[in-house]
Order: sequence, then structure tokens, then C-alpha cells
Amino acid sequence: MMGSPSLTFTLPHSVPRFSARLGKLVLTRLTPDSDTIMIEMETPNIFVGTSRGVISHLSRDQCNSSDATKWINVPFESFLEQTPPVPTMQTGPYPLHSFLGLDTRRHIASLCLRDPLDTREMPPNGNVHVSANCIRGVRKVTTSDWRNYVHKMQPDVVFALTDAPFTSPPHSQKRMTKSIERSAAWVADLLRPMPCDVSSSELQSPRISHHLLNVFVHMAGGTSLPAREAFAFSLKEKLHGPEAEAIKPLHSLDEGITGYSFDLATLRGIKPHPNTSYHQSLPDHFLERESPTMLQNTSLIAEAHTPSPTSASSGSLPAEPLVPPEIASLLRTSLVELPEGKPRLVTGSRSAHEMLRLIRDVGVDIFDSGWAMGAANVGVALDFVFPVPPTDCDAADTERRDLGHNLYDRIYAHQFSSLSDAFESAAGRASGSGTGLFPRRVCSCMACSPRSPPLHILHSTLDHQSYTDSAHGEVVVEYESPYSRAYIHHLLHTHEMSAHTLLAAHNLAVLSALLAGVREVLADETGEGAGDRFALEVERFESSYEESMEVFSAGKKAWQDVDTARGKGRLAREKEKQVASSEDREYR
Amino acid sequence: MQFEVIYQCHTTRARVCRMQLAHGVTMLPTFMPVATQAAIKGLTPQQVESLGITLILNNTYHLNLRPGTQVLHEAGGAHKFQGWKRNMLTDSGGFQLVSLNKFTNITEEGALFSSPFTGDLTMLTPEESISIQHSIGADIIMQLDDVVSSLTVGPRVGEAMERSVRWLDRCIEQHERSGQKDRQNLFAIVQGGLDLALRDQCLDAMIQRKDRVAGYAIGGLSGGEEKDVFWRIIKQCADKLPVDRPRYSMGIGFAEDLLVCVALGVDMADCVFPTRTARFGVALTSKGPLNLRLKKHAKSMDRIDNNCPCPTCTSGMSRAMLHHIVTIETAGAHALTQHNLVFQAQVMGGARDAIMEGRFPDYLRTFFKNYFGDRGYPEWCVNALRSVGVDLLQGGDVPLIPGSGAKWEYSDIA
Repeated sequence: MMGSPSLTFTLPHSVPRFSARLGKLVLTRLTPDSDTIMIEMETPNIFVGTSRGVISHLSRDQCNSSDATKWINVPFESFLEQTPPVPTMQTGPYPLHSFLGLDTRRHIASLCLRDPLDTREMPPNGNVHVSANCIRGVRKVTTSDWRNYVHKMQPDVVFALTDAPFTSPPHSQKRMTKSIERSAAWVADLLRPMPCDVSSSELQSPRISHHLLNVFVHMAGGTSLPAREAFAFSLKEKLHGPEAEAIKPLHSLDEGITGYSFDLATLRGIKPHPNTSYHQSLPDHFLERESPTMLQNTSLIAEAHTPSPTSASSGSLPAEPLVPPEIASLLRTSLVELPEGKPRLVTGSRSAHEMLRLIRDVGVDIFDSGWAMGAANVGVALDFVFPVPPTDCDAADTERRDLGHNLYDRIYAHQFSSLSDAFESAAGRASGSGTGLFPRRVCSCMACSPRSPPLHILHSTLDHQSYTDSAHGEVVVEYESPYSRAYIHHLLHTHEMSAHTLLAAHNLAVLSALLAGVREVLADETGEGAGDRFALEVERFESSYEESMEVFSAGKKAWQDVDTARGKGRLAREKEKQVASSEDREYR
Repeated sequence: MQFEVIYQCHTTRARVCRMQLAHGVTMLPTFMPVATQAAIKGLTPQQVESLGITLILNNTYHLNLRPGTQVLHEAGGAHKFQGWKRNMLTDSGGFQLVSLNKFTNITEEGALFSSPFTGDLTMLTPEESISIQHSIGADIIMQLDDVVSSLTVGPRVGEAMERSVRWLDRCIEQHERSGQKDRQNLFAIVQGGLDLALRDQCLDAMIQRKDRVAGYAIGGLSGGEEKDVFWRIIKQCADKLPVDRPRYSMGIGFAEDLLVCVALGVDMADCVFPTRTARFGVALTSKGPLNLRLKKHAKSMDRIDNNCPCPTCTSGMSRAMLHHIVTIETAGAHALTQHNLVFQAQVMGGARDAIMEGRFPDYLRTFFKNYFGDRGYPEWCVNALRSVGVDLLQGGDVPLIPGSGAKWEYSDIA
């Protein structure tokens, strides 16, 4: 038995408590052969959430070859539909990695119970259980169930259970108090030493100490500042009596906590309709369909939040920020009394702008990538870069650009360039087309910089003849031409899944590059005046890119249209609409 | 095209060939996955290539509607449009005209159909079909044929066969006029329904044109006809077609069908079956299909097949994990599509090796024993293989299943 992986976080430069900061997460683990593996992750950075244990639209080989997927978060609840949950039956070291096909040398795998982006109303939690959601309905997961699952799955990072009220606000003070008390008690429960069960009693270093778990805690308290203070206090206070005894040798909960997390989606409100399971039963004639609509999680996408465009009445005033100023202050309130050196993780952010502001105003270290994946679902290819290159910003046209392209739009039908203007393809770079005063970054995703396969499966002893004619018997891995907007436009309109695969990989890469750009700016300006240039770059970003993201709403609308347009007569109906919309344009 | 027969099976009519096209070498016999709309559903071309696949299909009828020849022309052809570097075949669109349009009216000039875009009547002529296929730019292109359902009887079958021959001439003319002949290769499609005499006439007429066609397809089958009739037509055609031209059996995808066709002398086949069935949660294996949606797989920690070289199996993905995601997550479809394409390629690759090493009859017996041994051999397969000197029942007593005998995992009881 190897020791459990340890996660350390270091901040090389001292910065004020709530300002942008550079950091480094290092996960250290032992392999079964007693090799030490260190996975490093510079922060600020992203992690990628999974749906039913997979990164949406990506196959395992793609997930394992993408540079952007280093930390993968697994909401466990979908697995509750079997008893026991099937991943717990996985044997061997690092069962979570094994079950999901993650690479222990490349991937940090975290486990949480609920999908942090799912804000549908749920039945209430109890004193010792959380209501979780799976295809077969709601399941109660007790704190001891959670300990047991965590013990069996051995994730690199675990999120403690939290008692977020999944009912429509406002919440009474009594409910808030209960929420804080339960959340703190559940943290304490997870930090209790894991008893050796029978199966692990023969092991040399059984899990006996909390130090073996890397625990992230959701900072409870909702939108109430006093409640947030109270929760933070309960983490920090020194425990006494039986409470202290339970978590020995820790003195306070915070001592056993690796990092703090904030789920913004729940702060923004709960969807009032109870538990509408979007794929609870299979439709009739399911098998006869050409391509099951389930594969697109239809209603989930349709339900997904789209940032509403800023109101037209604001006139010449700057667009109202999507994050009400409270969010940053809510986060700061939770953190103000706690140690500065622990990583801060945010899920449910909704735009690049919001992420940058949370880095600037709070010092957030890690973000989820839900909004970028959501964009891929509705056919939007992200296209932005940070810091904004000098040429782009100082140009005479001051109109803000969109954060992406709605590739459903007909204007892309004949565009053969790669997905982002802000990036070039590896093939383009190699051919020297992108050189200039300010060379663009290379987008390393498989849509912009596809690589020819290094290996081909040979199905007979003769098959090498197919691969020797070009390269003297050696297969040369080279960058191939990028996929064009026109091609993905075509795939979207023909409802081909490959469109979403390419877009998901691309959007993750663009988001990952955003954070890489943030780190570069921060690395450039340590010491005196640190933070100034970063703040300036955030401003330049805000004045270069449109935050309202109408392009996302347009993409979602187009996605719905194509989704519902299937069936006989579809092409004719679409043609009619095209004509109607071009007449509409002429009127204007 | 450079086409060369490298090995001939001593017993059956099966053979191994090397076919060099503008986008590389494809070893035959092979199975061709179908990328109807310029994508193997859910996969990227790089992934498809890494699976060891060197020849895929695109669909002329669909690509002509979307994205249209204008876009394909601007992109520099379908290869560049979809990023596929290896060989490609396009069909002529004749089959889709009939299968997807109730009101298609065939005249001597061409197929008159109502455009799905405008509802207007549009004429697809043989010349037009070839010139669309020139815009697509596939390495192998198909003649426009007059397709009738394989269940049609009466004078219409003979008429369609004769018209297909006349249309072949027009396709040849159009193709030779175009100057594409050095990069694109035109295949003829043998028609004639289930009528042996009509097939024979068609074969004679098309073989006369051999110097102007690069290969031959056997069309008009896989439309619900009796399997016992199906194999006899395949055999009749494969026996008569010239040795120095590739033979392509259209719309064949079940493993047992593929192997019977190979034994009868077929070199190429295509079908949407392995990719479509993957999207519905079915994995193909040497022991028969596995329906991963069934509850009995929900807690199985086994892989689909421990010996399978596909990315899904080598990643260690369990049946339980597949059960959890198939038909719900696109990634579930991707995982099974990768597996099923590798399965098809392994069946055909194994056949190539077996033919080359002189043990193809054993290969057939082993395959059928693994695949059908637990419940019985399809009688038509036994009959078909006997006709080329292989007795599947040799050395064992296995029950025979009449009808198609295709194997399926329907329910938890199975």
C-alpha cells in the first residue's frame, strides 16, 4: 500500500491578502513500484468537471492527451444509481483513477458528492445526510456513506459535504444557522481518522490520520455576511472536549483543511422546479432513432443558464458587471480570518471577465471550466486572449469583440480559418505565416493543432504497407491543418457529435491559455507595484471584449432550433427561415 | 489506382490485395466505416486514422445538400474539408434518392426528385452525380445506378438493370471528359435484383466496359432479401467479375456477412452498422454483440474484450463504466464507436493474415465457433461456405439456425 497522495500549495511571493497571486500546487504520490510522481500545477489555473464520470464529449484518449485537463473533478452522485456505487467495486491502487481511466502520472482527481453546477431544487438535507441526485431519483447520502466512498475511491482531493439549502431563497436565519452548523459538523466528520477496516488492516501504513486526505471545504453561509463569518470562525476555532477528541491530533478544523471552495452557482439562486430529471426514462422507439437525442443531454443544455444581455436602456453607461459586487465581498468575508496560504477554488463562474475580477479582487487560485464547456455545447468557439495584444487594443475601432463565435451562424459557412482569431494553429506557426511584431499564441487544442497519430493499430502483418510509403518506414508525427469554422459549422448543422468534441477541446484550451496569460502577467511584476499591471490588463481586457455574451444566447437558440428541426421536411423549414431572416436583415 | 492480388486462398475464393490510391495504400479485404456527413460520428479523423483505418466512405447525396459543392470546392475537396488524409470513397447518391425520398421518379435522363430544400423538382443525372463526386474528390467514386429495392419483382428489375448499364456509359464519358481520371477511380455497380439471369446480363455488359472502370460493386442487396438468396447473388457476381479489379459489396457490415463475402471473393464492404449500433450501446465482440445497456453489465468490472487493441479496451474501461454512460454521454458513443471500428478491422485484418498464411478455412471455423458456437450456426453461412469448399460443421456438431441467424443480445434473459 502506498501512502496517500499529498497536495501542497506554495505562494512564492508575498502579496496582500486579497490580490492576484501566483501559486503552485504540487501533488506527490507514490506508484505501486515506489516511484515518486509529482504533478505540478501553476495557479491561477482551471480544473475540469465531469458528467457521469466523463469530460463531456471527450473520449479517454483525448482527455489523456489534452494539455488543459490536469485536475479533473468527479461529482459522485450519478453513481448512486447502483448499490453499492459501481466505482467502489474497482480494485487495485488509485481506484478512482482506474475506474475513470485517468492517468496517475498526469491527473489530479478530486471527488465531490454533488455537481456544483446543478442548482435544481432538491428535497431538504437532514442532520446527517445530503440529498443527492441520480437518474433513478434522489438518494440520501449520510456522512458515514461519504467517508466510506472517499475511503474506497482514494481521490487525490475530496470536497467535504456541505449543507447548502437547495430551496428557493430567502432562507430564514434559523435555516442559515442550521446550514452552518451542519456543514461544520460534516467537515469534522470527514476529518475524523479513518478507522482501519478489515481489508486494510494488513497494510503497513493504514489510513489512520486525517493528514492522508486533502480536503477542500465549501465556504458556507450563502449570501449572508454574518453567516459566512460564523462559518469561517467555526473552522478556525480551537475545539474542546469530545469535539477535539474526535479529530485528534488536530486542534481546529482548519488545521485539517487543504483549501477553500466557493460554489457561485448556488449563490445565484436555485431553480424552483423540483428535481426535473432530464433523462429519467427512455422515449419510445429509442433504439430506432438515428442518433439518440439523449446523447446531447437536450433539456440540460436548454435549461442551462445563459447570461442575459445587458439591458438596452443603460445607454452609454458601461455594461453592468455580471457579478454583483457582493460576490467578491462574500468571498472575502469568508477568507478574511483564515490563513492566506491555502488555495481558493471557485466553481460556477460565468465569464472570463468574472474570473479575472475574482483573481484581482479576491485572489482566487482555481476555477472550474463549466461555462467554457457550456459554450461548446451550444456551438460557440471561444476566442479571446489575455493579456490583450497591444495591436488589438489600441486600434481605432473601439467596438468590443465577442468572447466567441456562434458557429451555427451562416457567416461561418465559408470561413476556412481556424477557430480563434486570437490564436494561430501549430501548422500555421510552422509555416511562418504568423510571424510579425506581435506573434499570436498557438492554440494547442486538437481542433487548431491536430497531430497526426504517432501509432496506428495494425490489423494484419501486411498493414505496415499502408504507413511506409510516405516516411521511409518511420511514422512522423506532424501538425496537420486546423479544423475550419466552415467544417464545424457544417457539423453543427448536421448534428454531428464531432462538432462538440472539437469545440470542447478548443474551449478548454482557450480557457487554460487565459489563466496562463494571467500567470505570465503576474510573474512579470513581482515586488514593488505588484498588481498594478495586472489590474491594468484586466481593464484592457474588459474594454476589448464584450461581457454580455449575447453570442452564447444566440448559440443556444440556434442549437435548440437545429435540435428541434430534425425529421422530415427539415431542410425545407430551415430554408424558409433563412429567407425570412435575410429579408429581415434587409429591412433594417 | 494500382491494384495487385498478392495472395489467393487455396480453398475459397478469398484473396489479399494491395490497392494504392492517391491517398495511400489500403490492404484488402477491408471494411470501410461510413462518414455520411463528412465525420465518423463523434470521432476526429486523427482518431480514426490511429485505429488503423485507411479507407472511409462519404455520402454524395448528403454532402451535396450540406455543405454543398460550393463549400467543398472552396475547401479544396472533402479530404481537406474534414482533415482526412487517407483514402475515401463516395457513393453516387442513387441509393439515398430511393431510400430517403418517396417521390423520386426515375426517367431515362436521370432521377427526378423533390429537393429537400425547396420542394422543387430537381433532376440528378449520371453526369451531375459524377461532377458532384469530382467536387468531393474521393479516391473512388461510384456510378449513378437505378436502384430498386431488393424485394421488387417484375419488369422494373430488368429495366433498372439495363438503365444502370446505360447510365454507366454516361458516367464513364463524364468521368473521362473531366481530367480527374488519374486521381479518381470510377466503379461500376452490378444490378439485376435477385434474378440470376438479369445479374448475368448485367455482369456481361459491365465486364465489357472493364477497360474504362477501375472496379466493380455489387449493388441492390442488403435490402431485406433472404440470406440464402443474398449469398448466391454475391457468389455469382464475385465468380464472374474480373480477377484484376477490386470487388465491393455494398451495405454489408455484420461480421458473419463480411467473412462469407470475403470467402466468396469480395474485397471491400461498407455499412453504418458498427458505428450506429455503438451509439445504441452495443459493443461487437468475437463472441457476439454485447448490449451494454442491459443490467447484467452494470456491475461488471471486465473490459469488453481483454485482447482488443482499441483505445477503449486498452484504457481498461469496464463494462460497468460503459453501462453508466452509453446512450447518455456522447463519450459513451465515442468509446464504443472506437471499439466497434477496431473490431471490424480486426475481423478483416485477421482474414488477411489467414489467407496469406494459407489457413483461412480454419480462421472461418474458429470465428464461427466463437461467435455462434453457443447457440448454432446460421444455416445460410454453412451453405455459402460449403460452396467454396469450407465445411463449418467439420469436427463438431452445432445446430443450424434457419433465416438470417444474426446474433443479438436482446434482454437480460439472454
